Amino acid sequence: MPLEGDESGQIVSLTDLCKEFPDGTRALSGVSLHIRPGEAVAVMGPSGCGKSTLLNLVAGVDRPTSGSVVVHDEDLSQLNETGLALFRRRRIGMVFQFFNLLEDLPALDNVALAGQLAGVPTAQARQRARERLTELGVGDRADAYPATLSGGERQRVAVARALMNEPALLLADEPTGALDSASGAQVADLLLALNQRGQTLLLVTHDQMLAERVATRVVELADGAIIGERVLEQTA
Amino acid sequence: MTATWRAIRATVRRRRVQTFVIGLVVLVSAATATVALTLISAASRPFDRSFDAQHGAHLVLVLDATKAPAVQPPVDRSAGVQAVAGPFPRAVLNLPADSSDAVGLGALTVVGRADPGGPVDRLDLWAGRWATAPGEIVLNAAPSDAESGPGRLGARIEVPGRSALTIVGRAYSVSQTADAWVPPDQIVALGPTTAQVLYRFADADTPAAVAAHASAVTDGLPQGALLGSQSWLTVRQAVAAGPGAYIPFLTTFGLLGLAVAILIIGNVVSGAVVSGFRHIGVLKALGFTPRQVVLVYISIALLPAMVATVLGTGLGYLVARSVLSDAFSGSGFGGNVGVAWWVPVVVLVAVPAVVVVAALVPAARAYRLSAAEAISAGSARRAGRCLGVQRWLSGTRLPRAVSLGLGQPFARPARTALTLAAVVLGVATVVFAGGLAATVSRYAEVSDVNNAAPIAMRPGNPAFGQVAPELDAAQTEALLRALPGVAHLSVSTVVPVTIAGQTRTMSGGFLRGDTDAGLAGMIVEGRWLRGEDEIVVPTAVLNERGFGVGEDVALQFGGRIRKVSIVGATLSSGVGSADFFAGWQTLDALAPGYQLPSSDLFYQIEQTPGTDVADLVRRVNAATPGLYAWDNRGTNSFSSSVLSLSITLSVLLGLVAALGVLNTVLLTVRERRRDLGILKSIGMRPSQVVTMTVVSMAALGIFGGILGTPLGVLAHRLIVPLTARAAQIDTPGFLLNVWDVPVVLLLPLAGLVIATIGALLPARSAARLPIGQVLRSE
Ligand SMILES: Nc1ncnc2c1ncn2[C@@H]1O[C@H](COP(=O)(O)OP(=O)(O)O)[C@@H](O)[C@H]1O
Ligand SMILES: [Mg+2]
Repeated sequence: MPLEGDESGQIVSLTDLCKEFPDGTRALSGVSLHIRPGEAVAVMGPSGCGKSTLLNLVAGVDRPTSGSVVVHDEDLSQLNETGLALFRRRRIGMVFQFFNLLEDLPALDNVALAGQLAGVPTAQARQRARERLTELGVGDRADAYPATLSGGERQRVAVARALMNEPALLLADEPTGALDSASGAQVADLLLALNQRGQTLLLVTHDQMLAERVATRVVELADGAIIGERVLEQTA
Repeated sequence: MTATWRAIRATVRRRRVQTFVIGLVVLVSAATATVALTLISAASRPFDRSFDAQHGAHLVLVLDATKAPAVQPPVDRSAGVQAVAGPFPRAVLNLPADSSDAVGLGALTVVGRADPGGPVDRLDLWAGRWATAPGEIVLNAAPSDAESGPGRLGARIEVPGRSALTIVGRAYSVSQTADAWVPPDQIVALGPTTAQVLYRFADADTPAAVAAHASAVTDGLPQGALLGSQSWLTVRQAVAAGPGAYIPFLTTFGLLGLAVAILIIGNVVSGAVVSGFRHIGVLKALGFTPRQVVLVYISIALLPAMVATVLGTGLGYLVARSVLSDAFSGSGFGGNVGVAWWVPVVVLVAVPAVVVVAALVPAARAYRLSAAEAISAGSARRAGRCLGVQRWLSGTRLPRAVSLGLGQPFARPARTALTLAAVVLGVATVVFAGGLAATVSRYAEVSDVNNAAPIAMRPGNPAFGQVAPELDAAQTEALLRALPGVAHLSVSTVVPVTIAGQTRTMSGGFLRGDTDAGLAGMIVEGRWLRGEDEIVVPTAVLNERGFGVGEDVALQFGGRIRKVSIVGATLSSGVGSADFFAGWQTLDALAPGYQLPSSDLFYQIEQTPGTDVADLVRRVNAATPGLYAWDNRGTNSFSSSVLSLSITLSVLLGLVAALGVLNTVLLTVRERRRDLGILKSIGMRPSQVVTMTVVSMAALGIFGGILGTPLGVLAHRLIVPLTARAAQIDTPGFLLNVWDVPVVLLLPLAGLVIATIGALLPARSAARLPIGQVLRSE
């Protein structure tokens, strides 16, 4: 797993981020946050406080109104849409609350797709996808379509897809939000294991259990601003 | 109700693009349907309608006035006789050349009738009044011939050996019972030797039925009293061979237009309702009853559709009227062909009905769905169909964006089938229309001798207030040949001659000069003229008279007889053209020293390449007084109308097909917003999104083109000969082979172009979809 950061030793540098939506909603006002390689940072806060917005800015899925986002040495404001697509392809993996798998493709092809988009030949991409699924404990469900998978299984497939191109940074937005507590705990264990093998994590959640279990650092967000920060001991 | 209304308004407003597309598709479809129905109604048996309106004569008997009884035969209803008129005294006047400037020379059949009405053959007296006093005459002419036909009111006709007649009226007989009518007193003065009796029967649809009736009504006649008879079917045939030839073409066009319009409306409307399922769930959760929900969903399609139907019908009406107005003029249908009143009514009722039916199918599903089901049907969408295809595609070596795009049509087979059908019909129609247009223009080019050259001229006729020519024929010819820019010159005239053994006269077209310049292409059998004593005959005339290529016939003119051989058959030009063509030497041999009125000569010239036709016309007119030249291009107004109809309908149908594709892409993109967001979140480039979306539709386009092209070619191949046979026209290869092989291979690209254009805009907006927003809201 890649551990390298930029010269300052940061893999994510957010400086003075502000985000105002066209309808006037101010989702973030002046957020600065730095993440070092190997960290597992959980951003917590009540619904609507701007967590997802923050994550989208880091993923280059949305652009800030002001402030800068530097991820893995790349200043996202310097990239056009195509550049952002290539950045997402190579540098980050994303996991969502509602899995966001393509319903028309079986689990294996959902995972392989990420590799194929990055230019990996089909056979090789499928091979690697199968390995990822096996590592995450859903190797036997490779040929199943998402609709036939349980929530926990779907989220594992989604994580496998996010890891397909060995991203420097794994982003997760409420990854346990749509799961029952048992499945949620399994996904938490999985993320913890990944981090302990060196994967840098940025997760966004209001699930106290998940944060306590996985994060090395918790950032408290309220009304679009950071109001507190604490360092945690991982429990396992 | 107000809540429902508010929901409808909000929904329509929120989906501006959808509403706009529904409106546009319905507008163009309604216009197309109006034009199509007008075509069908105008083309459907206009002769029969005029005939029935006039109580036309199914059978006209010509009797020997000295042998037949002079009393009207009884109306024997039990024998199927519906009505009888006559006997009317009848005389045939032989008018020498220049006996009148108002009628042509030759035989004029005159019938004595006291009034234009009666139980049979009710004449349409459309100009002037009926002839009541001695010396008055009414001529037979169609109202559409008001400008050009015989019988200028007030003109005089000199009859050799009798007193002159004055034209007081113009009437039209669809049954063609006479060339002119005079009062009963007057006909006596003209020395009638025959009489005509007109019959209407209950059943006269087949030659056999007419023949049976004919033998029944002539049964009791004295020996030798019956001189001849004319069935209405013969008259109808003659009309069908003219403008009637285009009727099946027009009907086919109309039906195609209707089919395409209905398909696309169904596609667009049902798509709109399906894509609104999520909203349905929300409405139900708010407490809307299933009935209200259905109302909302039918209304969001129906409201824009109603507005568009009204606009489209109006547009279609204008198009249909302007195209038809001159299409049927001069057709001999009495000029009563227009946009039928029922056409807009039917379109205004039927198009919204189609919209409602198309919306009802998915709306019925919305009716049954529970709120929760509807919400999830709208958001977490079901997996598509034919997933094996996607699976197989994802394993191929194609770029992933391409293989994903290729898989998309398979995920929604029903919608894909509708779109495909629209593209196939669109392409087939465009192909058929193009082929038809090409055939019609070639036919018009070769079939009308008057249209063989771009510039035509006649010496002036003082009777029309024109200047008499200063030069004689030879001088005129020399002058024209000397003009710069003249490449070919031909001179023709029409002389009535008879064929030995046959009573009816034939119009002989005699030609000299560079006569094969535009005419050799007319030959469908045998060859073009090479020398003296040869004639070429239109196929329709051959069929009618029972001649064949290779036979010899004896031409008769003023007592002289000349044997000629039929060396070739030409395409018939239908009504009004020559019955045969021959070289000028044949005329000289047949009628040595015959003095042609100079105004009967017809000159045609073809310009050298690069010469401006309008300018050459001006120079000819300036060269000598008494020679009147005109630009003769595109004077065949009927075929040019059919051409413009073909083009109008092709464009309309192509547009409807493209809109259908556009709509499908819009719906697909809307439905796949989440998938697109996911793909972008894992790094799909905007250009790949465009590629994927365009590929998904282009595949449909090419496939539709590949299916539609042979369909269009086939339709053309089948329908054109069918039509031509009905019109007694042979269809030589050059009328059918309007496509070259490379063109046929390129035609499927039409589908590709339609689909790509339809897909490009929505594909680009798909590429710009903000991912965060999409994934957040789904
Ligand atoms: N695309 C958008 N347009 C307008 N407002 C938005 C948009 N996305 C988020 N918001 C608003 O911004 C605020 C923060 O949203 P979000 O980051 O999704 O919160 P969280 O993920 O913490 O629940 C909320 O008030 C939300 O309504
Ligand atoms: Mg959120």
